Amino acid sequence: MEVVERIGAYAAGELTEVEARETERLLLEDPDHRRTAEAYNRMFVLLSVMQQEAPEAPRGVVNHAIRRAYVSAFFRQAEELLGGLSRAYTSAFVYYLGLRGDAAGHGGT
Amino acid sequence: MAEGVPDLTRMIANDDNFLPLKAAGGDVAAFARLVQIHSGLVYRVALRMVGAEEAQDASQEAWIRVWRNIRHFRGDSAFGTWLYKITVNTCLNSLRKERRRETHETGDEFLQLPAPPGGEDDPEAATLSRERMGEVVEALKGIRAEHRAAVVLRHMEGLSYGEIAQILEVPDGTAKGWASRGRASLLLRLVPETRESGDGKRAS
Repeated sequence: MEVVERIGAYAAGELTEVEARETERLLLEDPDHRRTAEAYNRMFVLLSVMQQEAPEAPRGVVNHAIRRAYVSAFFRQAEELLGGLSRAYTSAFVYYLGLRGDAAGHGGT
Repeated sequence: MAEGVPDLTRMIANDDNFLPLKAAGGDVAAFARLVQIHSGLVYRVALRMVGAEEAQDASQEAWIRVWRNIRHFRGDSAFGTWLYKITVNTCLNSLRKERRRETHETGDEFLQLPAPPGGEDDPEAATLSRERMGEVVEALKGIRAEHRAAVVLRHMEGLSYGEIAQILEVPDGTAKGWASRGRASLLLRLVPETRESGDGKRAS
């Protein structure tokens, strides 16, 4: 793991006890590393503030999603209904033409 | 109904926890309620993943995918995790398309993250700066999409690495590595001087 990433994990509190002690030693030895740790801390403060922000979705997004679902459900149901009707008519027609030997399911004796 | 016995039908009808399963069964009203409840989450993630210009389109696309796929939702994972997964995947696809459209890289421009006016140890001063948050959002755009997703989910949504791994469909270690590399890239973009601190140095 690169030093910058290690310092990031330290600032995020994600290191084990031993790793944290090693990283603290690095920070004590090198002022550049300390500046990096401070920069991470500032960045995490900003990220945590952004985490608390709750921007609302534009009304248009919500309406669009709901409208699409209703339209799609309508077409799905219409398709099922028409499909069912068409299957029923085809079966009736086949039966009428006598193409199916006996009533379905009864079997010949 | 006998007194003291809960009316399960009414409980299910009124309980938001059952909405995903009701929507999975084709109940559009339940889906509409889900959209109203979770639209903030989807938009927020999209905003951070793809930026303000694309966030609206990405959110709409994510909800279309949710509706298209919700019949397969069986409740094996939390609905929130499932929703995050669809949203993040939609954003990643949008970023891939955008990347193909782009003819040049703009990621090498660095932004500045100046010290807060109240000094290094003044987190309150830092929190007040809208400008700096804008810089974070801009800097996020410059880092690799998967790393960005991991940073957003970890540091802006507060999810565990286990949850992030589930959403991104990678092992826990990969999710952790992506978040680690993502926040290092983010820092380098915000504070280019830190590059000197990390250049060529590896932690022992």
